[in-house]
Amino acid sequence: MTFKQIVWKMAKVQYKKYLIYFLCNSFAVMFFFMFSTVYFNERIIEAKKLDGIQDALAVPAVALVVFTVFFISYAHNVFMKRRKSEFGLFMTLGMSHRDISKLLLLENGVIGLCSIVTGIIGGAIFSRLFFLLLMKSVGLEEIPFHFNGSMFLYSIATFALVFLAAVGKSLFFTLKKDVIQSLRSNRTAETIKLKSPLFGGFGLVMMFGSILMLYFSFSKSNGGELLLWTIGVLIGLYISLNQSVSFLIELAKKNKPFYYRRLLLLTSLDYKFKQLTSILMLVTVMIMVTIIYTTLLLTIYQSSEKDAIEGNPYDIAIVQAKTKNNLSSEEISSIINKQDNPIKQHLKMPIFYSIQTLPGVEGYFTNVVISVDDFNKLTSQQKQLQEREYINYINEAPEYVGNSNDDHQELAFNIGSKERTYQQKGMIAVKSINNLSYLHEFIIVNQAEFELLKKNADGFAAEIQLFNVANWKNTADVVEILDKKVKHYSKTAPQIADRAGIPSQQEFFQMASKIDSYQYHKNSSGILFCVISFLSVIFFFGTFILLYLNLFSELDLEQAKYQKLYKIGITAREVKRFISNELATLFFIPLVLGTTLAYLYVAILATDVGGIMKNPEILLHFVIIASGYLCIQAGYFFYARRKMCTNII
Amino acid sequence: MVILEADKIVKIYGETSGESVTKALSGISLSVKQGEFVAIMGPSGSGKTTLLNILSGIDKPTSGVMTIAGHAINKMKRDELALFRRKQIGFVFQEFNLLDSLTVKENIILPMVLEKKSAAEMEEKVQTLAGLFEIEPILQKYPYNISGGQQQRTAVSRALVNNPGIIFADEPTGNLDSKSSTAIMECFEKIVQELKTTVLLVTHDVFAASYCQKVIFIKDGHIHSYIVKKGSRKEFLNQIIDNLAVLGGRTYDI
Ligand SMILES: Nc1ncnc2c1ncn2[C@@H]1O[C@H](COP(=O)(O)OP(=O)(O)OP(=O)(O)O)[C@@H](O)[C@H]1O
Ligand SMILES: [Mg+2]
Repeated sequence: MTFKQIVWKMAKVQYKKYLIYFLCNSFAVMFFFMFSTVYFNERIIEAKKLDGIQDALAVPAVALVVFTVFFISYAHNVFMKRRKSEFGLFMTLGMSHRDISKLLLLENGVIGLCSIVTGIIGGAIFSRLFFLLLMKSVGLEEIPFHFNGSMFLYSIATFALVFLAAVGKSLFFTLKKDVIQSLRSNRTAETIKLKSPLFGGFGLVMMFGSILMLYFSFSKSNGGELLLWTIGVLIGLYISLNQSVSFLIELAKKNKPFYYRRLLLLTSLDYKFKQLTSILMLVTVMIMVTIIYTTLLLTIYQSSEKDAIEGNPYDIAIVQAKTKNNLSSEEISSIINKQDNPIKQHLKMPIFYSIQTLPGVEGYFTNVVISVDDFNKLTSQQKQLQEREYINYINEAPEYVGNSNDDHQELAFNIGSKERTYQQKGMIAVKSINNLSYLHEFIIVNQAEFELLKKNADGFAAEIQLFNVANWKNTADVVEILDKKVKHYSKTAPQIADRAGIPSQQEFFQMASKIDSYQYHKNSSGILFCVISFLSVIFFFGTFILLYLNLFSELDLEQAKYQKLYKIGITAREVKRFISNELATLFFIPLVLGTTLAYLYVAILATDVGGIMKNPEILLHFVIIASGYLCIQAGYFFYARRKMCTNII
Repeated sequence: MVILEADKIVKIYGETSGESVTKALSGISLSVKQGEFVAIMGPSGSGKTTLLNILSGIDKPTSGVMTIAGHAINKMKRDELALFRRKQIGFVFQEFNLLDSLTVKENIILPMVLEKKSAAEMEEKVQTLAGLFEIEPILQKYPYNISGGQQQRTAVSRALVNNPGIIFADEPTGNLDSKSSTAIMECFEKIVQELKTTVLLVTHDVFAASYCQKVIFIKDGHIHSYIVKKGSRKEFLNQIIDNLAVLGGRTYDI
């Protein structure tokens, strides 16, 4: 029998090992490809209403790459760990380093290529399904599914890069280090040497300290501090995962009865946590990030209707210049008015956009002036204003407006060469006009003053037309038609002013509708939510595979340990309970940690909108998503436990 | 008083898998009295380890009856056996069988931990045994940091920790040099003399066997013969060597 035959025979016997490795890589390629069919879809990139999607998708894309790096290198390490013992054997039988390297390259090359081929094929099949589901769930069925070069290029290139790096590293160590020597090293002994309870205590303090700091400094701090404490939390988390069991053992030793009863579990966990620190860290962070992300996105997604209604009191709002060649009011009405969706309300609001230079200062000073009569019509209030008086009106719900006490201020307008000053008579904050750029703050004066300013002050007159229809959800078609027309006319409208700081006519003459705002929110957060959910599933699936592979890659050691214990007289029931406790800790600690951290971050982020307790929907989403994760993790746990028990008992 | 009684023990390997059938034990009967110090010797492959594993309940016989301190252990279920083993039996292995992740002290108390004994009791027991076998200085060390002889003394302490009625030892000196071997055999002597515990050990080492009061020789799964110590250890040693020559097979390291 030649060497080649021996190698081949051993490979055939242990086909499972290769199969698992191959499947892991194949999955990595597949997920990459599925993601890139969304990421590189031309319509998604182009679609105007999905502005910002590409940027928002960049975060998950980076997460996916980071995860893949971990995933592939871990799968590779597990494979190599099993392979190394055989390499050791081959080398004692007289195989050279060169032969081993060749073998390693050959194996990995074949597996890598097969993974790419099957992964792409699998990805091509499943991505269509995934894409359709995704688009359907956000109501964008019209976006077509297609393949393009970048999808293939980027998924293959990213995978190949990570894979080659992993293989390269192994190759380097095979050539450098004595494989046989590394075989003999005692992993348990090496792990025990890494024990440092003090450091573990420090890690715990650091983690909880950073969380507290984060919580208390958030409201008044800037983004930089948030980042700093987040890094603190992550470093603390890593150290804690690595050393806190050592620390807890040291504490437990103070209470002998307690410690002795949990002797086996604690020492075993200490070893496991040190061996699996990176993976557990990965699991924790992935859980944390995905829960935060999905909770927030779900909340945004669910609130798109509320936001659309809150942001746009009228179903459709159009700003037009007051000139002859324009879209006439009748024409607009006739477009909007549909038999099955008639206009219920139509309000015209003349505005005056004043532009004036400030004496002694460079730049301009603009004001949007409306008359008190129009304002009263708009808000059904009964305000009265005298000559040379004004009210400052902010188009925003009062709770978002700070209390400004600069009442009784003066405002001056240049009329010819003279100045006409107005006394402030208060401030009103109420949301009664749609979200239109440049039209956020208004100056209310009485009708006579309005006419006077319009005639004499520098600036231009325009009109906001506000429409309500029977059902705003059915306005998508008319809004599209109107939008085109408004854009067309605003192009031909007279130049407002060719001065810096003054909006161009396209920017100023615009429209804002509930339906647009609703669709914008729904599409962008909807797609993101689906992508994140999809990635979460991949992460969850992937991290489970990693944890599982790593746990079972040391199965022989575990079997040996329980064999020893069996000889001393441990019962099968005790073994079962012991395995159960150990796996429960390994599976649920990351979940508990990740969920807790996620909760804290969500709570901290929610302080912006009045705290998490005031936003029960955020809490609800958090609970839904977290319990979903709990169920999945529980499923994994029971599966792994059953597998472990049947393998050991 | 008889503590261990075995009657017509047969062990056949490979019956269920049906590949190659090996008859390791073909009807062995023996009895050991309380406080006896017995060695089992025989050529490699003669079935010594198999016998010891069956007598101690680690393995199941194909047929036959054994009782330890009046309990018929061939009738016990797996978990019952495990419980019985940790309460009534001590076992010392050639490869020490210590857990790497536990300190010497923790290894020693492990059977007591399983038995949920009180912490005070454990502490006391460890101190007594460590004093007896001179391993106090290494109690806080890990197994990979101590010598083979120290590891085996740890294993012997562990075997004794639950006050077993009988101790089995499978080649306890097999991995040790002669100096450590002597130390271990002296430990066993102490166990028999001071603690009045019964010891049954398997060994290749005639020097180790000469510490015992009785040596049973087995060959091809049968008891071939046995000799009992009458005079000094030196005389007994020579007797064992003579007997082994009769047994044939392989030469023994003297
Ligand atoms: N698990 C097993 N399955 C099949 N056959 C076995 C098994 N264990 C032992 N045997 C066979 O049973 C016979 C007795 O083995 P045993 O290990 O009891 O011998 P031994 O006297 O302890 O030998 P040594 O002195 O080398 O330790 C041998 O022929 C051996 O091949
Ligand atoms: Mg043997």
